[in-house]
Amino acid sequence: MDYKYIEQLLERYWDCETTIEEEQILRAFFHQEDVPSNLIQYKPLFVYQKEQKSILLGEEFDKKMLGLIEKPVVKAQKLTIYRRFAPLFKAAAMIAIILTVGVVMKKSVDNNGGLIYVYDQYQGNNSDPQVAYDSKLPVDSINNIVKDQEGSQVENN
Amino acid sequence: MEKINFRNDILPLKNKLYRLALRITLDSAEAEDIVQDTMIRVWHRKDEWEKFDSIEAYCLTVARNLAIDRSQKLESKNIQLNDDATEISDSHDPHELMEHDEQVVIIHQLMNLLPEKQRSVIQLRDIEGKNYKEIAEILDITEEQVKVNLFRGRQKIKQKYLEIQNYGL
Repeated sequence: MDYKYIEQLLERYWDCETTIEEEQILRAFFHQEDVPSNLIQYKPLFVYQKEQKSILLGEEFDKKMLGLIEKPVVKAQKLTIYRRFAPLFKAAAMIAIILTVGVVMKKSVDNNGGLIYVYDQYQGNNSDPQVAYDSKLPVDSINNIVKDQEGSQVENN
Repeated sequence: MEKINFRNDILPLKNKLYRLALRITLDSAEAEDIVQDTMIRVWHRKDEWEKFDSIEAYCLTVARNLAIDRSQKLESKNIQLNDDATEISDSHDPHELMEHDEQVVIIHQLMNLLPEKQRSVIQLRDIEGKNYKEIAEILDITEEQVKVNLFRGRQKIKQKYLEIQNYGL
């Protein structure tokens, strides 16, 4: 290795005249085991520069970062959609419940025969208009009619 | 310009952002927090990604500004510096054994004693290997100022380090 070249590079390094490539040569040079004694005092500086580049953030950070960035967006959309339609869902559920309960109640009332209970009294009697002339008419009212007729006949006479 | 994707283009910048934030705040937890904040901010401006010349430079600028803000809030920088130094000597990885080297720790401390601008310039140049133009864009200063800061920073480290070497201070 030409140490003159390295010394020259070092001089230019202190004056900030070196290129990035030349600085890499310096780092590589000082990273090797046997550095000449007149230059060894600069070894720690260039070793330090190279070692500092191996400071890294772990994989955990990636997961945390992606979790922070991707989830809130998706979550926010999900929440707004849910929130937007929640009252509708509630209203639909209430209507469904009311309808179900109503239908069930109506059916159970029909089956109980609430109407039939009334209908039973006149069963077979109200289908025929002739019922009006039937002898089964309440006796009292017939008597009244007869009495009325007799009375009017007396008055006429 | 090709379409920028968070997972492929921005997330991989985490290490560079972390190292710059760490260089400014000197606190690893704080630095990680800053990287997270930076990425969230950049994410919220995703409609403007295509407009940036370099999304990397933009991210580094955001991270630096956040780091400067926060480091102003950190009360004692010396305590933070010592904390950082002990963190390094805790590692047992053979690759990092070099960091146990007292001399390297001295370099670390000297570098972290520099003013923020010089520190950031050295970080971006000597560790991340960026050219003057990129550094100027990130720090929002001229290339000439980048060079001046780099020169002063390197000279100060060299001078202080040689003093310690020669006089055992």
